[in-house]
Amino acid sequence: MGVALGAALIALSAVLFIVQPMFRGLHASLEREDDEMTDTEARKRVALLALRDVEYDFLAGKLDEQDYRSLKGELTAEALAALEADESSKSLSAVGARGPDGIEAEIALARQRMFADMVACDACSFANEAESRFCSACGSALLSTAAG
Amino acid sequence: MTLLGEFALWIALPLTMWGMVMGFAGGRTQRGDMVLSAERSIYASSLALTIASAGIIAAFVGDRFEYWYVANYSNINLEFFYKVTGLWAGQRGSLLFWALILSYFACAAVFMNRNKNREFMPYVAGVLQTIMWFFVVVLLFADVNPFERLPFAPADGRGLNPQLQNYWMTIHPPTLYLGFTSFTVPFAFAVAALLNGRLDARWIQLTRRWILLSWFFLSIGIVFGMRWAYEELGWGGYWFWDPVENASLLPWLTATAFLHSIQIQETRGMLKVWNMSLVVVTFVLTIFATFLTRSGLIESVHSFAQELKIAYIFLGFMTSILGASVVLILYRRESLQSENQIESFVSRESAFLFNNLILLGAAFAVFWGTIFPLVAEGVTGQAISVGPPFFNRVNIPIGLVLLTLAGIGPVIAWRRASKKNLQRNFQWPVAVGLVVVAALWVSGARHLYALATWGIGAFVTTVIAVEFFKGTRARARIEGEGYPLAFFHLVTRNRRRWGGYIVHMAMVLIFAGFAGSAYNVDERVHVQPGDVVNVESPFGHTYQMSYEGLSVSQGKGQRNLDFQVIALVTASRDGKVLERMTTEKRRYVTGDPGQLITEVGIRSTFFEDLYLILSAVDDADGALRNDPNAQGIDLEILIKPLVNWIWIGGFMLAIGALIGLWPSADKRRLAMESAGQEPSEPVVVGAS
Repeated sequence: MGVALGAALIALSAVLFIVQPMFRGLHASLEREDDEMTDTEARKRVALLALRDVEYDFLAGKLDEQDYRSLKGELTAEALAALEADESSKSLSAVGARGPDGIEAEIALARQRMFADMVACDACSFANEAESRFCSACGSALLSTAAG
Repeated sequence: MTLLGEFALWIALPLTMWGMVMGFAGGRTQRGDMVLSAERSIYASSLALTIASAGIIAAFVGDRFEYWYVANYSNINLEFFYKVTGLWAGQRGSLLFWALILSYFACAAVFMNRNKNREFMPYVAGVLQTIMWFFVVVLLFADVNPFERLPFAPADGRGLNPQLQNYWMTIHPPTLYLGFTSFTVPFAFAVAALLNGRLDARWIQLTRRWILLSWFFLSIGIVFGMRWAYEELGWGGYWFWDPVENASLLPWLTATAFLHSIQIQETRGMLKVWNMSLVVVTFVLTIFATFLTRSGLIESVHSFAQELKIAYIFLGFMTSILGASVVLILYRRESLQSENQIESFVSRESAFLFNNLILLGAAFAVFWGTIFPLVAEGVTGQAISVGPPFFNRVNIPIGLVLLTLAGIGPVIAWRRASKKNLQRNFQWPVAVGLVVVAALWVSGARHLYALATWGIGAFVTTVIAVEFFKGTRARARIEGEGYPLAFFHLVTRNRRRWGGYIVHMAMVLIFAGFAGSAYNVDERVHVQPGDVVNVESPFGHTYQMSYEGLSVSQGKGQRNLDFQVIALVTASRDGKVLERMTTEKRRYVTGDPGQLITEVGIRSTFFEDLYLILSAVDDADGALRNDPNAQGIDLEILIKPLVNWIWIGGFMLAIGALIGLWPSADKRRLAMESAGQEPSEPVVVGAS
């Protein structure tokens, strides 16, 4: 008898527990949370981490100068693309939250941060390492260092 | 309690079914109330399964032999400890135990994601409940109900198999099951991503940690199993390529492949279909493992006519899962296209890819070798056995290639490695490897595979040691930290990378230990008290094994123990006494009366184990009477070089995996980044 009662109680409370949301109108969220990384954010992160990785490999003496330069050039370009994609997706999702000027400024700032010690190529405007003599992207000579 | 447990198992059936329907329907219609209901049903089913398991344990502890399962796996005299662990001692209980652990992982997944990843959760809940439902259905309808009652209540049970009355038995199955069942969660996330169409990097991030957790449990479960075999099965080995062992190795191989190939997806946006397939295959292989070990298929190879309801249910379930997953992947193939291509054959990407192919090749060979006898016997009716020679012949070369890759992968450059990069990173490690091989050759080692393993092991060790050294040095230089602190920060700031390297080192140790078996010494002798046997170690010294005689103990110790016949052997090395070793024959009152269980004697040192097996007693009855003329025995003396390295490697592997699992600094860094702050950590260390 006791067993039957216990069983009935357990069954009843389990049923109540799981059907309650339907009757009481309780909802689980199905939306993406704000603090979650978006796809573009994730890409940006990966690109930046890859850059750091190459930097680490170079400083640790695992990559020689030449490999470092060419890899870093590629990764920088990718990181920049990811950065811009992320910013533009944010401006799309947060309509009106920030003015377009604010975003432009942010991109410019990010660019500046990233290329503080870099030289833009005159031919293709690719950003190269400060002391580069040739552009990593198109191979043309870089005037600033060629002059110096 | 037991009745209540039985009832709870029946309750779990509608609960899991409800959750399955509500999860999928709620996801499809985007109704939050249905999803909440599905999630709650997971907690409720888990409670039901807990009550059911408690019911079984209560039946064991209360000696309720009217239950078939208890009558077959326990008896009154069984120690309390083994009664509790009776839950997973046999097929029926372990299926319930499996469902129970799965339900706990399901609860953890739902609870941890109550405020995040909400897009995935409806389908995650649906998939988890589907799998749980399946196990409940098997338990209730496939003639394996642990609550099944006998028409009468026997006075006592048949007892637990004596070989399972060992402490490893209580640790090894649960860890393996933790590994197997936890793979369900990443599988659920993968399917959820396929269903909701969010196939960006997110699901990889979500599954990676879960897979690593499962991989951690599975790895230690396998190592524990090897240790149990080594200590308890009494034949001196730790791996026999039997179907049960193979079944646990298969998902381990594919999960290892996944842990490597996701790195290509993360950094290069490639191999998405491949990764998705690996998750599916790994999960199906965990079900296959239960199928193989718990469906009764193996025990019944010699009675194929017998109806195997449970085998058909499992086969049907695996086929449906595979089929549904393939359809889903095909349906989403557009979103799963690669964003990049491999640029060069000599690059880290291609090393990873190669590693994956090799692991899958090994998995296939093991899979085929495992099921071939079953298939062949089913078709031809003749028993064919595929034994260790086949598996070793195939897997040793594969293992060597993998081991080599464990050294190449960490340092070869992404995208394309230049000649200089290769030279810079590999010339010293290769040199060290060659020197080690040469030194071993000079000291007399001639076994090809063993030499190759140790040479490659030295290569990998050097690569990784140099990695650690260079990383520490760079950090010490840039940060101005002392070397110990720099080393600590190096590891803690990028746990995933350095944890991985530690696991690679662990694999080197384990492989080196395997290779040690090429130099096993095996002496079988018949001895009388006073006899001394000289056994030469491959390391050059000689052991003098002096047999002292038998000692008998009756009705003592463990409660089910009938008698022990203990052989005393004094081990000396080059004339110096080392240790008094024992090896025994035991008989238990339960089980087959003619069955004698061997307890081996092990003297373990860093470089080699001395392993004694009491193969046979000339006259057991005489020995039990302490008859001085009945002291002759067959003794097997084994020397097993480097076997300890396997266990040390297993320990190291666990540490490496834990380092990789530990919540990283990433979260903090991310929070700071999004708050607009620069991470305080210098750019140089962040990686991976």
